Amino acid sequence: MKNKIKRHTLIEIIEHWSIALSGIVLLFTGLGCLPLYKRYYITEIPGFGWTSDFYNVTMVHYIASVVFVAGVIFHIFYHGLRKDFGLLPKKGDLSKSIKVIAAMIGIGKEPPSDKYLPEQRIAYVGIGLIILILTVTGIIKILKNLQWIVLSPTMESINTLIHTLTGFLFMFAFIVHVGTVLLFKSNWPLLKSMFTGWIDEEYVKRRHSIWYEKIKMH
Amino acid sequence: MKLSRRGFLAFSGAVCGSLILGNDVEAKEGKYAVLVDLTKCDGCKYEPVPRCVKACRQYNQNRFPEPQKPIQPYWPRKTYEDWSDKREKLDTLTPYNWIFVQKVNIDGQEINIPRRCMHCDNPPCVRGCPFGALTKQPEGNSVINDKLCFGGAKCRDVCPWHIPQRQAGVGIYLQILPKYAGGGVMYKCDLCKDKIKKGEEPACVIACKERLGQQAVFTFGERKTIYELAYKKVKEEGLYIYGDKQNGGTSTLYLSKIPFEKIEKALKEKKERFQMSVNVENKIESKFNSIGKIVLSSGIISMIGAVIGALSSNKTKKEDETDEK
Repeated sequence: MKNKIKRHTLIEIIEHWSIALSGIVLLFTGLGCLPLYKRYYITEIPGFGWTSDFYNVTMVHYIASVVFVAGVIFHIFYHGLRKDFGLLPKKGDLSKSIKVIAAMIGIGKEPPSDKYLPEQRIAYVGIGLIILILTVTGIIKILKNLQWIVLSPTMESINTLIHTLTGFLFMFAFIVHVGTVLLFKSNWPLLKSMFTGWIDEEYVKRRHSIWYEKIKMH
Repeated sequence: MKLSRRGFLAFSGAVCGSLILGNDVEAKEGKYAVLVDLTKCDGCKYEPVPRCVKACRQYNQNRFPEPQKPIQPYWPRKTYEDWSDKREKLDTLTPYNWIFVQKVNIDGQEINIPRRCMHCDNPPCVRGCPFGALTKQPEGNSVINDKLCFGGAKCRDVCPWHIPQRQAGVGIYLQILPKYAGGGVMYKCDLCKDKIKKGEEPACVIACKERLGQQAVFTFGERKTIYELAYKKVKEEGLYIYGDKQNGGTSTLYLSKIPFEKIEKALKEKKERFQMSVNVENKIESKFNSIGKIVLSSGIISMIGAVIGALSSNKTKKEDETDEK
């Protein structure tokens, strides 16, 4: 058996999948909150009849957001207080990212990486920002629906529009994220580690040599 | 370290605080309301067009849709909603007719009911519009912004009375994905938003007053006064009221000699396009209030969990941190 290195703790795995799975439900029901599914016959697919009622769709959106909001807030506070800042971008990440992505499609050699690839750090900030905007505007929507806050008409419009438009960015980011994992074989070990938490030592040595050296220095 | 911990705690305090604050009743309900006394409405008998309908159409004519033709169907469907050739239709709500007088016969007596948007206190159309095209104004009226409306007609679906009406071939959707998303613009009464903002009465109210004077069907005024007047009439004249409880309360109060249960039944039997159910729950409140509170609580609980988890794990992590540096 190959030597394995611990890449993610159980807490991180739970964080990732709770946000990911509830995020998928939110994306589906979010699109369903737009008047699209009836028009495109989705409501007529067996098992999807419930999507024809906006109140049902919104209810499932709310239920999924219980998990999503908990995951996002936990992530911010837990790693914020622990100062786990390894996923925040560093100087020179942009140019290195281009090299990493070029290497994925077979152009040039990938620069050595720390625990995270530079493009992962940039993607993290991007998707993190999108998720943060969705969470904040979503919570404002809840408070407004509860009538605990009364927004001015303009603010209500702006908040709703931001939530809807950022939702489309989330869909785009989700497709890019899942796409880069699935389409490039070089990323498959990372997918596996997102389930198990462990990654092959050989892989770390080859792709994350900076991280590997740090581990060896221990 | 201490500072950031304090920062986080301050932030969490602020979040909790904001959850408790804010319960501005007046901002919720709106400034004005309209009383519609059905005992006085004869549907402008002997006149070609009821005065309220005529006045509404005249006042709002510049805001009526002028669709670009030919209108594309809502792909993949082959249909689209076009009322532009039926502009003169007066006996129902259309994008060109925002109020109409519904006629129903109960026990040999003809009842005339001016029908339009009720202007709910917590309007599902406003809460549900994904584009923020619908807003509730401080005056109490719900208004559609025709520049933002995509014409998906969700507002019509979630409205207990299905009031907003769609016209295809106009609006912002034509600039984005006209074939695949959007369906036009929704239209409905907005209580003559510009007039009431200036403190003037809506066009329908003025027109009715011109015909009937003191005996006018409509009374427009401060919400509190209108509600008090309505309840006084209910008590003194033995009338029935509609609109004060329906959908959690609205800015439109109907008064009638005949119980609204009977009116509801008659409209149902007639299979009218616009019904008048007596039991209308506000589904935004009945369905989402408890789950909304659960979402907020889950956020707070997870924040507390994260703080405890991080502080306890920080002790064991200190060594790693110094190594990384």
